[in-house]
Amino acid sequence: MSRTLVLTVNVVGLGPEATEAPESELFGRFAHGRYTYNIGMVRLLDFLAARGQQATFFWPATEAARMPDLLRRCAAEGHEIASMGWGFEDHASLQPAAEIDLLTRAHALLEQLSGQTPIGFRAPTLTLSQATLPMLKGLGYRYDSSFVDDDQPYPLDEFGAAGMTELPYAEGLHDETHFGQRIAQPRVEQFFVETLDGLMAMGGWGCMSLTPRGDMGVGRLARLTMVGRILDHARDQGARIIPARAALGAV
Amino acid sequence: MSQPATRWPQDARVAVSVTIHVDGPSSAIGKGTNALGKHSWGRYAIRRGVPRYLDMLDRLGIPGTFFCCGYDVETWPQTYRDIANAGHEIGTHGYHHEGWDLGDAEPALLERTHQAVIDATGISPVGWCSPSGRKSWRTIPTLKRLGYIYDASEKDLDEPYFLPGVPNEAPFVIVPNNTVSLDDAPVYRMGQALASEMLDMWRAEYAAIREAEGYLHLTIHPIAGPGSGPPCRAAIVETFLREIAADQGTHFMTLETMARHCISAPQFWNGAKA
Repeated sequence: MSRTLVLTVNVVGLGPEATEAPESELFGRFAHGRYTYNIGMVRLLDFLAARGQQATFFWPATEAARMPDLLRRCAAEGHEIASMGWGFEDHASLQPAAEIDLLTRAHALLEQLSGQTPIGFRAPTLTLSQATLPMLKGLGYRYDSSFVDDDQPYPLDEFGAAGMTELPYAEGLHDETHFGQRIAQPRVEQFFVETLDGLMAMGGWGCMSLTPRGDMGVGRLARLTMVGRILDHARDQGARIIPARAALGAV
Repeated sequence: MSQPATRWPQDARVAVSVTIHVDGPSSAIGKGTNALGKHSWGRYAIRRGVPRYLDMLDRLGIPGTFFCCGYDVETWPQTYRDIANAGHEIGTHGYHHEGWDLGDAEPALLERTHQAVIDATGISPVGWCSPSGRKSWRTIPTLKRLGYIYDASEKDLDEPYFLPGVPNEAPFVIVPNNTVSLDDAPVYRMGQALASEMLDMWRAEYAAIREAEGYLHLTIHPIAGPGSGPPCRAAIVETFLREIAADQGTHFMTLETMARHCISAPQFWNGAKA
């Protein structure tokens, strides 16, 4: 049986906190996001480059504008540039005119800064409106990766987005699920491994999501070392570890 | 990613600072409860925790940085004289461990806590760590006016850096504290870790840090509740400190020593890597 692990990165810096207060007023516990800009993103790109590993990076437009050089580096190193909306809006509560405007502008900005045309989307707060998927289809998107309702990809026809595919992410393979709760690292590793083993044994498909922050994510070197062990474990089980767009053809 | 070891005093490969956030009864009182019954976890620091860690640091020969709340210092001055007499650094950490916006009242409370430490110990603190990681635009200017040289409240880099400052102003150092994996309280309170899991996480952090920045800033709360006051948790702190002390090239220093070193060798502390 062929096995696939889709590797994705949610590019999160100060964005979530910046929806509540201006960046200049974010300090201390509200400024963990600066870790992404100062060291986390560089370290994650270095880690992937050292492994020769490509991934899908979901970029919010505001984070792309904050780190244009790192976005260009990300694209130049062969990673997939995908959209994560504009600036951490809750898409479930956006009015249609505002939503299409944000999705369109985010798409154009990523294209302009990276030279890649995004075909994948993950909702910035993992929430969608009824209009989100049809709008993405209209913009030429091929897949979404915001749902948690299956172990494997499925077509999005029922949501008015025929031709698009859902690539569901696994909560147990999402760093924020565990580190966001300050679970100690040894137990987080166990959570990842048991989730991965279950998915690989059942359908041979899984989607992992990493974040470059130091608090909810794996930007800390000790945590990336852990991620390396988990990726090795997946590979030892025969999984191909690939970006999302590369998984589409196999669906 | 590796940095030259000469960045640290005595050619240390890993510079380690152990900070003790005393967080006595001030914290419960600041939240509007008294410190009785189940709210007495902060009293554990005064009765058991601080003496336990003074003994431990003495056994290990490690200088510590004790961050103190003003109310606790006013109420139990002898505890803080004991800390100072043992040669450890005392920094300040709020009056009632206020984890909320103090508005215009903030400068006066910073001054009151500062003065409480001077009155109790004769020592004028030079370092501050925010209670619960909050800070405002009023904080740093007040600390500078009181003669502080560092803040240990930011979580955005794995090594010290200079606060972007005003030309001709005295340098001010940010010594980041990592509250996600080298601070006991969040991982015990939210993460519900076993002490053995905490120890393994700290070992992984040390191994990674040794190969990279070489700066390890461990935060310990000598309280009951989410802290490392009780024996089972204090024991793994001692195990960890003994292990890393045995590793050649590890050097323990107070945050004041760290900050003064950074000021004396500014070429190494340029901040962000990106």
